[in-house]
Amino acid sequence: MTRARSAAWWIAPSLLCLVLYWPGMTAWFRGDDFAWLGAGIYNRNFHDLLVSIFGPKAQGTIRPLSERIFFMLGFRLFGLEALPFRIVVFATHFANLALAASIGARLTGSRSAGLWAVLLWLVNSSNILPLGWTSVYNQVLCGFFLLLALHFLLRYTETGERRYYWWQWLAFLAGFGAQELNLVYPAIAAAYTLLCKPRFFRGTLPMSAVSAAYVAVHQAAAPAPRSGDYAMHFTGSMLRTLGKYWSWSVGPTFLYSPLTLPKWVLPAGVALVSAGLLAFAVRRWIRGARVAGFFLAWYVVLLAPVLPLRDHQTEYYVFLPVLGLAWLGGWACSGVGVRGVALGLAAVYAAMALPTTIATSRWSHDISVRVRRLVEGVEVAHALHPTQAILLEGVDSELFWNGVLDRPFRLFGLDQVYLAPGSERRIDAHPDLGNVADYILPPGVVANALAREQIAVYDVRGARLRNITSIYAAMPLDTKAPLRVDAASPLTQYLLGPEWYASDGDHRWMPRRATLRMGAPDAPGRKLYLRGDCPEEQLRAGPLEVTVSVDGSTFPPAAIRESAFELSFPLPEALVGRGEMVVTVEVSRVIRPASDPRDLGLVFGTFEVK
Amino acid sequence: MTYIRWAVPLAAAALLLAPACKRKKVNVAIDEETPRMLSVLIMADPKAEPQLVKGFHGIESSAWRWTEKQFTVALRPPFGAAQKGAKLTLKLTVPQPTIDKLKTVSLSASVGGLTLPPETYTTPGDYVYVRDLPASVLGGDSVRVDFQLDKAMAPSGADVRELGIIVFSVGLESK
Repeated sequence: MTRARSAAWWIAPSLLCLVLYWPGMTAWFRGDDFAWLGAGIYNRNFHDLLVSIFGPKAQGTIRPLSERIFFMLGFRLFGLEALPFRIVVFATHFANLALAASIGARLTGSRSAGLWAVLLWLVNSSNILPLGWTSVYNQVLCGFFLLLALHFLLRYTETGERRYYWWQWLAFLAGFGAQELNLVYPAIAAAYTLLCKPRFFRGTLPMSAVSAAYVAVHQAAAPAPRSGDYAMHFTGSMLRTLGKYWSWSVGPTFLYSPLTLPKWVLPAGVALVSAGLLAFAVRRWIRGARVAGFFLAWYVVLLAPVLPLRDHQTEYYVFLPVLGLAWLGGWACSGVGVRGVALGLAAVYAAMALPTTIATSRWSHDISVRVRRLVEGVEVAHALHPTQAILLEGVDSELFWNGVLDRPFRLFGLDQVYLAPGSERRIDAHPDLGNVADYILPPGVVANALAREQIAVYDVRGARLRNITSIYAAMPLDTKAPLRVDAASPLTQYLLGPEWYASDGDHRWMPRRATLRMGAPDAPGRKLYLRGDCPEEQLRAGPLEVTVSVDGSTFPPAAIRESAFELSFPLPEALVGRGEMVVTVEVSRVIRPASDPRDLGLVFGTFEVK
Repeated sequence: MTYIRWAVPLAAAALLLAPACKRKKVNVAIDEETPRMLSVLIMADPKAEPQLVKGFHGIESSAWRWTEKQFTVALRPPFGAAQKGAKLTLKLTVPQPTIDKLKTVSLSASVGGLTLPPETYTTPGDYVYVRDLPASVLGGDSVRVDFQLDKAMAPSGADVRELGIIVFSVGLESK
């Protein structure tokens, strides 16, 4: 191979990646990105730093390299400039493509097969989120460590040089910082050596012990959920899930196409490509090429950990497994004899996947641009009205779940951003992700804040934010007391009795006894909910007794036993239709820490009637 | 060691380039001009949106919106309305599918506790619902106008929205 051809062999996949996923390169942040960007903003000491790097978050995941350090360091260096993050993501994937091509070439003995494999991998629409949404960098980095470890294993089996064995160990261990999926690497290494280099099989076994230990420690630190979307179901549903992921691997994700096609086209295409791939694998296996089995093993082993997630199927779960099929397909495309058929099937696969890949990549980018307009617009609005809260009118489902839920505004020091009353009508509910009501300011509170000039209202529906405070102030607003009071908000201060201490931003302390006004129930059967935190120091003396009364009627005392608490009290029917009620909270004891001379009872939190 | 030979210069280059990528102060444009409330709302105008209190779907064909069974707007009384009263005007279309499905549809409205006479539409077409409003309900900076249909098309597989009538504009005009 000439020097130029060799250079093209290494560079072509990265160039194609850049062309296909350019919208991903120019995307901004969205959704979970903001949670990770803000992971360290409240750190006060080294202990906080360690917790923010290694503490289980979001479904109990611990991904210090790909999420915590990546985002925290990136935010510290670049703030909300997304491009450096995107460059790191793409650079890592360029390395993945080089490694995948090289491994494919080594395993099949054909450089052409390696090149074809990464081209087929790139076309798959499971690349969209890993390359278009910074939060999914964990997949890209996990792939890097898995491929790097496998690369060193191949070098070790080729040369017998022990140093490659230890480099493999290093890559394997580092992979745990990227994604828990890394734990399957010993199975990958075992499958390869068992099928292709049996002499080296025993050397892979110690890594299984590390994976087993990782599972045990992870399970102790963050037990797997037993209910909800992330609960694992070891049932026949795993086969159905495998079937679905297979169809997304050899066809477009969700079997969705932006083109108008007859219903039978995509299933027929998937069946055709599947038959071709499996027939090729069997043919090679029969002829003694055990590496065909390894390619399928790569697919199954990397997919296995997510197969029990019956109720949480995600498009990028096939992003790494599908490389196994791409190696197999690339091999077929480069081989003599079946090349014509293989190229035809590759064209069918590309024709099915590419329209989805291109359209969805653009869609993902466009969401992030909308989020950027919102977040940066609010930042400018805050600079213009630094003493006022911001009320957003016109936020829809897409903008809420991608640009409001994770409170990106706190990244530039703004806690007081709310949605206008009635926003819930435009936003689809996803209780598993969050509660829209937590973000909506009740009409009575808005009316009060407008009268006191405590709030600026912006319409977010256009190409740029529009100040509509004067329109909003002239609108007829319901001024009755709210059914939900966020005690920490300065905007609800007018509802609180004089006993409360000043707001500490996202929480507010009460002394031994405190009162507030809020809306009375509008129907029978409603309950009063109190949510807040009880300091550990309070709980050291045992459960804390809390007595709550409403309009003079006292409920039986409740006990708080854990730091984060929620108490509920059934409200008497006599309160229905009263409009407003006075709630009194009293705790049985207070603390007075050395650093704070105040009598401290409880931290709130919200009061809600529902 | 080949790997390290590549990694060290790459890391050094990245560190040198990092400060150049530091985010500049955000300077996006936002519209700070605080507009007045409108007396007439053209459905195609996104600026009218904050005054569509409830019951309207998105803009279609850059011209109109479907309503739900109940829909509400907030309008600024025109100059002199507090003395002379004003005319409430709603330009609407009753589309063929509505009549096919519901046979007839009646529209009524209320302003500040005053219920206005209803209008019943039995054939598809364009209509204008016009009612006189007395000065007594037009005193404030804004008035809330609640519209009500007697029937609407329920959400279905073809359209998950509740669909009432099609509205082009709604407003208060001086007498």
